[in-house]
Amino acid sequence: MATADNQHRPSAGKAFAILAGVFALLFGAVVALLAVTQHHVLDAAERLQRETVPEIIRFQRLARNLDQLNHEGERLFSSISAEERQQALFLVMLVASHPSILEHPQATAMARDTENYLIETNQLAARDPSMLRARYPEWQRISQRMHLLVDDISIEGANLATADLDDMASAMRAARLKLLGALALVGGFILLLFALLRQHLIRPLQRIDRALSSLDVEQPAPEFPDASLAEIHAVDEAARRLHKAMASNEAARRELELLANRDGLTGLINRRHFMAGAEAEIRRSQRYGRPIAVALGDLDSFKRLNDTYGHGAGDVVLRTFAELLSDSVRQSDLICRYGGEEFAFLFPESTVEQAHILVERFRQRFAEHDIRLPDGLLVRVTLSIGLADASHCPLEIALQRADFALYEAKRLGRNRVIVAADAD
Amino acid sequence: MNRLRAIVLIAALFSGLLQAAELNVAVLVQDPAQASMQGDLLPSSTPGADLVAVTDELAREICRRINARCSFYYVPFAQILPGVEAGRFDLGFGNFLRAPEREKRVAYSDPLFRSSSRLIGTPTTASAFATQIGQPVSLASLRGARVAALEGSQQQAFLDGVAGERALIVLPTSTTAEALDVLRSNGADFALLPIRTGYALISRDKAQRFVFVGPAVTSHGLGDAAHIVLEKQKTALRRAVNRAIAEVKADGTFQRIMHRHFPISLD
Repeated sequence: MATADNQHRPSAGKAFAILAGVFALLFGAVVALLAVTQHHVLDAAERLQRETVPEIIRFQRLARNLDQLNHEGERLFSSISAEERQQALFLVMLVASHPSILEHPQATAMARDTENYLIETNQLAARDPSMLRARYPEWQRISQRMHLLVDDISIEGANLATADLDDMASAMRAARLKLLGALALVGGFILLLFALLRQHLIRPLQRIDRALSSLDVEQPAPEFPDASLAEIHAVDEAARRLHKAMASNEAARRELELLANRDGLTGLINRRHFMAGAEAEIRRSQRYGRPIAVALGDLDSFKRLNDTYGHGAGDVVLRTFAELLSDSVRQSDLICRYGGEEFAFLFPESTVEQAHILVERFRQRFAEHDIRLPDGLLVRVTLSIGLADASHCPLEIALQRADFALYEAKRLGRNRVIVAADAD
Repeated sequence: MNRLRAIVLIAALFSGLLQAAELNVAVLVQDPAQASMQGDLLPSSTPGADLVAVTDELAREICRRINARCSFYYVPFAQILPGVEAGRFDLGFGNFLRAPEREKRVAYSDPLFRSSSRLIGTPTTASAFATQIGQPVSLASLRGARVAALEGSQQQAFLDGVAGERALIVLPTSTTAEALDVLRSNGADFALLPIRTGYALISRDKAQRFVFVGPAVTSHGLGDAAHIVLEKQKTALRRAVNRAIAEVKADGTFQRIMHRHFPISLD
């Protein structure tokens, strides 16, 4: 959810779109560079195939033809018959007329000189065969020049390939570097992406997960470091709001529980809550063999007080009684408004005798306490109490026995504590 | 299963029939005696028989490579190109040089070999003409001579083109052997022939009267690559022939054919 606080933060989608865009641009640039190099390599290979190799073949043919020319010239000098010499000369002329020689100026001049020298030699030899020997040294020089030319042409042809292959090898090396660059770029970007994901997405999500897993109203609200991504910040805020809502709900729940368990007039716990707590306490005491006692108390002549002074006066008496009682019993004792002007007591860890002392002391204190009614009048109210041991019987039975004892206290003249006889 | 086998057999038969095209192939002859004869029955004593044998063997090898059933016709040069153009021949083996006028009429295969042109004559005639024109005889300097050339060839076309300004008399002959016959009978002073043909003819001339005169020439359409010609619209056939040429050159067949009939292999 976008908030005003979130407006300055980039969204995850936008951040990763920017990253992807930057990566695409960089990678595209590298790929374009690679494509250029590849094009260069393909061009060089195509040039090698279409131009250089045929050119090399042409040079090879030319060199071969010059060699052939040399060979036939040698044959002319070594032939013993005029007809053989003539055949060799015909071949010399045939080779010298080949386009491969004619299109190379140096080779053309060489072939022409060779052909002329051999024609002249053949004509002289027809008249005087000894001329062959006389002219042979010169032929050797011509032949040597031809060999050198063949070498030059062969090297020239080889150089063509060398230049193209160097060019191609250089392009391939550049391509390899660019490829390594592309790999480094991709690797670097993946590392950067992982680091950014970890820093801005994974770790914040882990923090949020931990915070949500241990979210408790008893604990303080979770604290998150300032998130850089809008979405993470929104989730952090949501977790904080959730904790606040949970705390608020818990407070409301406790309030409701209090209201449900207390008597609205006296503030003492109500009968339902008392019964549940007393049941549990009696079970615990009986399980561990500990003493426990219950009592039922009833304000004496309360109906007459109400009738005489009004219900407001009755309420004041009840509240005063509850306040006095709260000050007089132990923290562990349970007291509830059992109904009307009747109250129930539970004394854990107390024998009947110990409880008797406690309630007797309170009875006396209450009986001597002046209660100021709303109209300013001071009154005193007495209390009758029935006390019973609950160490060996269920709550209902113990209360029943306490009730009988209360009835006995009323019958004997009120304002007293009667302990129920032990049950057999 | 039998039905499937029958279908496969029929398909194979049809594909074989379709591939084994029937082709009429024109092979260049060098002598009138070689015309209308079978290649393997050509008299080896006739002038230029080696050249015809090379052309014939190459034509048969190309036919075999393109899986065609070829009928061979041994004809003079001047009949090949019109025959191909008119569809009488599917392939014309006449070592044709490229020329714009020819390109309009027929299609060319990839190159077979490279050639040039050179004058042929007797040393005596050459010497006489050198004296007459005041410089060594060459195709560029030749004037006032009678020159024989193969009818329909580039050599004839060139000579016809310069005949007027150089006072040349061009004597077309049906075959190259006839061109030499004209020289022998003193009907012409020189013959302008393709170098390979010229070599084949004068090196086999027992009297050895003829020599090459002047330098060889490749300019003016008189040299460079020689090709097979075929009908312009037969592009599939041209592709097949080009593949076959590349194959015979790559596997050495072409060079072996050349070597069977010539002391050196000039390609």
